[in-house]
Amino acid sequence: MEGANKVKSKLGATVYLRRNLGKTMPLIGVIILAVMLIAGIVSLINSIPLSIKTIYSYSRNYVAVTPRGNALLTPLLRKSIEQGSPVEIDRLMVIRGTDIEVKSIVGNWPFVVLGLEQSDMDYYLMRMKAKVLNGRKPAVGEPEVMISEKLARNLNLKLGSVIQKPTDSDNYSPQEVKVVGIADSEFWFAFGSVEYQRENHFPPIDALLVFAKNPTDQKKLDDWTTATLKGENARVFTYQELENQADTMFNILYQILNVVIGTLVVVITLMMGMLMNIFLSQRVQEFGLLQALGYTKRSLIMRVFWETTVFVVGGWVLGVLVAWGLLNIVKVTLMDPRSFALDTFDQWAYLYSLPVPIAIFAVSILTVFAKFKNFDPVGVVERRLV
Amino acid sequence: MIDLKSVSLIYQDHGKEVFACKEIDLGVQPGEFLGILGPSGSGKSSLLYVMSGLKVPTKGSVEWLNRDLGKMGDQERADIRLREFGFVFQYPFLIGYLTALENVLLAFPAEDRRADAEKFLIELGLQDQMHRYPYQMSGGQKQRVCVARALLGSPKVVFADEPTAALDHKSGRAVMDLLIQNRGQGALVVVTHDPVMLEGADRIIRMEDGEIKN
Ligand SMILES: Nc1ncnc2c1ncn2[C@@H]1O[C@H](COP(=O)(O)OP(=O)(O)OP(=O)(O)O)[C@@H](O)[C@H]1O
Ligand SMILES: [Mg+2]
Repeated sequence: MEGANKVKSKLGATVYLRRNLGKTMPLIGVIILAVMLIAGIVSLINSIPLSIKTIYSYSRNYVAVTPRGNALLTPLLRKSIEQGSPVEIDRLMVIRGTDIEVKSIVGNWPFVVLGLEQSDMDYYLMRMKAKVLNGRKPAVGEPEVMISEKLARNLNLKLGSVIQKPTDSDNYSPQEVKVVGIADSEFWFAFGSVEYQRENHFPPIDALLVFAKNPTDQKKLDDWTTATLKGENARVFTYQELENQADTMFNILYQILNVVIGTLVVVITLMMGMLMNIFLSQRVQEFGLLQALGYTKRSLIMRVFWETTVFVVGGWVLGVLVAWGLLNIVKVTLMDPRSFALDTFDQWAYLYSLPVPIAIFAVSILTVFAKFKNFDPVGVVERRLV
Repeated sequence: MIDLKSVSLIYQDHGKEVFACKEIDLGVQPGEFLGILGPSGSGKSSLLYVMSGLKVPTKGSVEWLNRDLGKMGDQERADIRLREFGFVFQYPFLIGYLTALENVLLAFPAEDRRADAEKFLIELGLQDQMHRYPYQMSGGQKQRVCVARALLGSPKVVFADEPTAALDHKSGRAVMDLLIQNRGQGALVVVTHDPVMLEGADRIIRMEDGEIKN
């Protein structure tokens, strides 16, 4: 039976592609490059909101409330939260915070160093799922912080490094604040002693962190707090709000991206369409001959259909593999060392590249249909057409 | 076997009607060697295309085993061409990226005819060319591959339109002999303007201005 298969495969979908590599390779190359380009651009742009979400994902674990301008509000806010909360509260921390800056691929972003009570530090680490600890926790009233490993990588900090100092206006503290502990955690965080911050930082207003007993209730607590304190003299920080902000911020960028990629797809498709047209025209002789011998238009169109399918699907798959490989290289060499987020399995990036093979496929099939519509094989065998 | 009844093939040339074939009555008998002679432009090729279902006549009918080719669907007509007819054209058309053997096998894709194809190629003196590509062969060798392709599957009729025109006299003669000897039970219809190539024909018709002049 091996012989029969061989006969059938004479005009199999890959015979033309394999035996005309000089023609098919450049075309597949263009598809690979286009897919790679689009998937690469989209993943890199997606890495920005992804970074925002990763860097501030600690806020998924609690809702933060800061009174506006009046220190006397804190106990009142605390009371109304404790009394009205729709879910069981596990812990409510009275804290301070000061600003530092972290690095991203699009410049610096603000980050907060919390000032915590000694009695809250272990609980905070537990909720941040911190595992291995290097060094120790900050001591009462001392200019010391404990940070997460991701933050340490981002700012290139080690045990003993200075994170805030009097001469650095972006990372300011009246004394040199040193890293005394680094904790392994999926979250980014930094905390010092609340006594030190009360002594040294402005404004003299305590804020609140509220942890739901059950982590799955946190969102409910967040929403309730946001709704209840709306219009009060307090700001509420939730993960949801952060996510919404990140999404609106990138809305316009994504619209621009859509236009750019749309244009790219149109340009590539036009170019590929013209090339496919030329290549198919070169095969008019072949199609005319086969039709004269008794092959139907239908069978010839099906052949081009399968050839094109193999060709665009193959090109797309290779393009995705190459893009994935390159993104991994970028991730390992450029992103990971500074803990910048990059998703090399970003499905949107790969989905965005799909219009390229689909459009090329459509153009090829339309070309073939147009060519076959009024095609007379006699023109070919009589050599009136070439 | 093939019956043409008052067949006309008319082309429109700038609004004027050109009769490539004019009211032709003709029959092809099983196994016969029919020669069609005539000067250039006399309508020989047109007649061959009409007979073989490659063109549908403007008027009249062409019957294959008492069935009107013009009333069949494209699919059915194509099927008859593939299974029952063999073709040799004036130019040795082969598919460039297939070997000689693969090109021959194109004529009968439904079944494994590899052994037959090899046998024909060997009989046509092409044993060394079997796995070569067309660009590695001479014109005469290519035309012999086309002969093998036309004969594969034992067609009931082999149509040849000036099969020797692109070849020198000796290769032309060789191609004709191969066609005549290897066609088995099949009829052979050969169009040419060179009477020498019709040596051994059972019947010869002459065409002029689209009409048969005998
Ligand atoms: N597609 C066409 N459109 C218009 N006229 C055509 C067409 N094809 C053929 N003709 C005309 O029909 C007539 C017969 O042509 P045909 O090709 O059958 O001649 P032929 O006898 O095979 O000539 P040759 O020996 O040169 O091949 C010619 O006058 C030719 O100009
Ligand atoms: Mg002719």
